[in-house]
Amino acid sequence: MRSPKDTADRASAFSRQRAFDTSFLILLAISVFAAAAVAWLKGPWRVAEIAVAYLGFLAILTPKILCGFFVAASIPILVPREALTRWLGRESGLRGLLAASIAGALVPGGPMMIFPLAASLLASGATVAVVISFVTAWSLYGLNRTIIWEMSFLHIDFVLLRVALCLPFPVLAGWLASRVFR
Amino acid sequence: MNILVGTLVLMMLAGWVWRRLGTDANRAEAYSGVRRMIVTNAPRLVIALISAGLFAELLPEDVVRKYLGETSGFGGVLLGTFLGVVTPGGAFVSFALAAGATQAGATTPALVAYLASWALFALTKVVAEEMAFLGPRFLVRRVLVTVPIPVMTGGMALLI
Repeated sequence: MRSPKDTADRASAFSRQRAFDTSFLILLAISVFAAAAVAWLKGPWRVAEIAVAYLGFLAILTPKILCGFFVAASIPILVPREALTRWLGRESGLRGLLAASIAGALVPGGPMMIFPLAASLLASGATVAVVISFVTAWSLYGLNRTIIWEMSFLHIDFVLLRVALCLPFPVLAGWLASRVFR
Repeated sequence: MNILVGTLVLMMLAGWVWRRLGTDANRAEAYSGVRRMIVTNAPRLVIALISAGLFAELLPEDVVRKYLGETSGFGGVLLGTFLGVVTPGGAFVSFALAAGATQAGATTPALVAYLASWALFALTKVVAEEMAFLGPRFLVRRVLVTVPIPVMTGGMALLI
């Protein structure tokens, strides 16, 4: 049984990233600058042309992105945060590093959700090595970012190759950490 | 074609998840999560996609080809690694830049290194967020054991 408090926690985890935060302002500033530069170099019509072409692409991407959102929004409901914390807090050794890498790939969310989760893993007894594997896997190939966003911008063959190359590194980084930092 | 396959795979996954959610209450909760994600991400996505096109137009092809292109080799991997650290903003900025650079002639090894480096060490994320939640001690350890990854993955991509 889930208590109403669980629901509130998950809701706050999602809403932690506001729509118009610093990273949005950085993106906006860079794009306004790029638009001004293109308008100045090639004329304003070129900016409009590019905008129309790329927004057409957005229409094609929308169904995929909405399905991705639904999967990402469902994972915290299907695998409550407390269960994940308990599981990774208990595991250690190579099994723990593997579990942490898989969890890091599966757990959706941006840095404002992942880093607090990593902190709560440490607090609940997970080793530094396990948490390093978790954070590294999320950074290198968190499925939410890879499938919904990276594949929207870059070719799927490139993304698959990149993920394949990165695949062993979260476990390796955790293993190295377990040897070096005792 | 690629997008069609991706869409179908995600649709099947979404259908499976919808069944697993089981109750209407769970599904309603998932829908409200989707609504929040749309509010947060739709403006970013629109701006970032247009930016990708603008970057492709602005990035000078001869310079990109020389320093990040076919012949750039390991130097391109090192430059990609450096650019990943200093790229400001979130995932949308880096993906839009990578997409623009691809069109301007950047190659796979440099981009693999760039994205790994951005994901692991982007200063705006590491300093503002990782340090705040996990503390400097964890951060230093995490960086020490992951520091070779961009150069190693980029180097492996060079060999393929």
